[in-house]
Amino acid sequence: MDVDSKWVPMKWPCGPLEIARRNKSQSLTADLKATLEAWEQPSTLELLKGTPINCLIVDWANGEPEDSAQPQALKPLLEAGRRLGISFVGQVGAKEGSGAAVGAARAAGLSAVMLEEASAQSSDLPAILPFPREKVAWETASTIFISRENVWPGVNLGTMEGDTAIAGPTGIPWVNSNGWFSLLAGELAPQKTLWLDIDPPKASNVLHPAQYVLAIADSQAYGSRWIISLDDTLRAALLKGSPQAKGIWEKMCGALAFFEDHKEWQAFKSQGILAVISDFRGENAYLSGEVLNLLNRRPVQFQILERSRSLSAPIKGLKAILWLDKEAPSTEQHSQLLAFARHGGLVIASAYWGPPDVKPTKKDPSLRYKMYNVGTGQIAVAEEGFQDPYQVAVDTHLLVSRRNDVVRLYNPEATSCHASFDPGHRKRLVQVLNYSSESADYVTIWLNARVESVRLWQLGTREAVALQGVAAPPGTDFAIPPLSVYCALEFEGSSP
Amino acid sequence: MMITTCSRRKFIGALGAAAGAWLARPGMLLARPAPASRVAVARCHVYDAEVLDTLGKMFDQLGGLEELVRGRTVAIKLNLTGVGTNWLGHLPPEITYWVHPQVIGATVHLLGKAGAHRIRLLESPMVTTEPLEEFMLQANWEPRDFLSAAPRVEFENTNYLGNARKYSRFWVPGGGLMFKGYDLNHSYEDCDVFVSLAKLKEHSTAGITLTMKNCFGITPCTIYGDSAPEDEPSLSPRGGRGPFHAMNRLPPKSAPPPVNPNAYPCDATKDPSGYSVPRVVVDLVAARPVHLAIIDGIQTMTGGEGPWVTGRGHIQPGLLIAGTNCVATDAVGMALMGFDPMADRGTPPFETCDSTLRLAEQLGVGPRDLNQIEVLGTPIAKAKFNFRRA
Repeated sequence: MDVDSKWVPMKWPCGPLEIARRNKSQSLTADLKATLEAWEQPSTLELLKGTPINCLIVDWANGEPEDSAQPQALKPLLEAGRRLGISFVGQVGAKEGSGAAVGAARAAGLSAVMLEEASAQSSDLPAILPFPREKVAWETASTIFISRENVWPGVNLGTMEGDTAIAGPTGIPWVNSNGWFSLLAGELAPQKTLWLDIDPPKASNVLHPAQYVLAIADSQAYGSRWIISLDDTLRAALLKGSPQAKGIWEKMCGALAFFEDHKEWQAFKSQGILAVISDFRGENAYLSGEVLNLLNRRPVQFQILERSRSLSAPIKGLKAILWLDKEAPSTEQHSQLLAFARHGGLVIASAYWGPPDVKPTKKDPSLRYKMYNVGTGQIAVAEEGFQDPYQVAVDTHLLVSRRNDVVRLYNPEATSCHASFDPGHRKRLVQVLNYSSESADYVTIWLNARVESVRLWQLGTREAVALQGVAAPPGTDFAIPPLSVYCALEFEGSSP
Repeated sequence: MMITTCSRRKFIGALGAAAGAWLARPGMLLARPAPASRVAVARCHVYDAEVLDTLGKMFDQLGGLEELVRGRTVAIKLNLTGVGTNWLGHLPPEITYWVHPQVIGATVHLLGKAGAHRIRLLESPMVTTEPLEEFMLQANWEPRDFLSAAPRVEFENTNYLGNARKYSRFWVPGGGLMFKGYDLNHSYEDCDVFVSLAKLKEHSTAGITLTMKNCFGITPCTIYGDSAPEDEPSLSPRGGRGPFHAMNRLPPKSAPPPVNPNAYPCDATKDPSGYSVPRVVVDLVAARPVHLAIIDGIQTMTGGEGPWVTGRGHIQPGLLIAGTNCVATDAVGMALMGFDPMADRGTPPFETCDSTLRLAEQLGVGPRDLNQIEVLGTPIAKAKFNFRRA
């Protein structure tokens, strides 16, 4: 048996091991202990009935004295879960280096193990490997892999003054999103599934329901899965049957069901006339990651290309290429990039490696770039290299020009969007996310497409509604109904 | 509510059609000396070919544009306050708080036909040095449409140094009300004719924002912005023109000094903006005179200068106003909005501020008394659109 990319995972913290961990971290209260004990009872699985959640992540071994008691304590839960068709993944901590825990997991009927140490892998059970976000081993990562040190999606709490979001230099609130990282995983590990490990922020005792739904939407809209993780307060409230907690849970499950109903969207490709090229590793990881994040926030639609790839096929149809790394292109890439520029494309780079006889010009006093005319296109070279990722994202947007925007958001507040198209190039999809816990009431989206109407998909509904557009040449404006967390606009049409 | 609005890209086609009609009346191109107190008013209900035709007639009523602009460089300060992504509900800025591209295009076209050598479109977009064309594209405007409306049309973002090596210094005649002079982008010096193209709007600080208040935006935030350095201008603007409102800090030492240095910094618990903003505006129109003042009141908004002001709504007064004196033009604009241009502080729309018009009149910039202004075209009584009752 192998891991299953269809798994919809959820953390299920319970048992002696979790109680011991909380005790050590001095966060164990009597109430919490009762919750953790109750959570190991098979009856709690009732919560999952009728939901898409089909995979639970449980503590399994951590090299602690309580390890031995954990399988026994979880036995009734595992048996009941299996009868319901639920798969279990056992988390094996770094201190438990031997394969004994893996063998025990297999014997107990677990479907996979999540190993803190890749070296502990054995043939007994499939392994799921977690990585810090900055250090993902893309090539050796398991079929399902986990990134940690992600951000909890939403308006950046570090830029809040009370209830007020402080705007960034663009005049729009800073938001935290893992969208760019999910897109990057889609490029660097295309046949694998990324699970995002993010726990709700501890600072918030009571989370707004929209925040959980946003955590789901921020991963699914960009092609990854959030490992459902409830905070202690919500877990306790759910056990007590609190109507408010049930309301949050139902909204979460509704959002999960919505995305399961639209699994085909996961195969859609990012739409953009800009390609961002880097190896996204080592010294280049920070700049390239931040540039992707900030381009996504503007929202500039882009495609990601890994630097080692040949450029012949992927750059067809592009208008611009952002070559982020200091390393010059290979000989083959060099000729491909020059051909791209000669035929009207724009290449943006931190150093010039074009034909030696071309004298640079200046495009605009506000842009600190030297422009080299090559054929009918240009190579734009940053006068001082690429230093500030924010400035790189701003400059790239201006060099490419807003004339080439795929989408624009009006009254965006804390919203952002992601445009994609199906592999057959027949359908286009624009997913809009609101990162604020307040509804975004007057968002208008402009699409670079002449369409009379689109299908508007909203969470909590199983049918799309027709949304009429208003001609705004060369595209169409669509007035979005008040947006709590997420909606999607789907329409027929190839990419522009 | 159905909004009658022309496509944001239609106006060039409309220009072509209406331009033929305009050129078929050569007599109208003859320039006549225009008294400073003449203001033309016309009804115009939609942003289409009617705008060009109506503006053409209005300029003719004022004596024609030829004598003013033939062979000269004309700079037009547009009113594009805020950012183009900020809409009033689901309504785009051009029909609520920005001057409409149809009005800009028609004005550019008529200036070109009147023989302007070069026409430069100017604005200081908020918190950015980006090219003005990109700022327009963000609002889904097509700047190429303006390029094709007349020969030699240029754009410049005047919120920073721009294309020049140094800022241009403008001294205020009589010593100024707030500052003795202002350092501005070169574009305001490198022109023979200066046009203020404004929207018919109220203003949360200055009561109204018409062709005079539009000039508040000619000041670069690299010097007059919230985060300008103490000694020299910054390279790029950061923040808005808060110091003009709050009087909480002085511009860099390189800029002309304030009239009353002791007034700085103002007590943070006080809001001097009702005093300072009208005076800065009057300083600016005295230092950088406006030769042609045009107001787009076809569609606009009530309650303030942009969607960020509370209690606002979209309205369609169906008006165009133009004059060769900015004070007289604003006075007629005020009257058309249902206000008394002779109103002073405490009276609408100047409930909490001094009257820019009174201050300008006192400085000799122009008249605000309707008895001294010849209104041409549609009489005020027939065109009045009461903003406070809309």
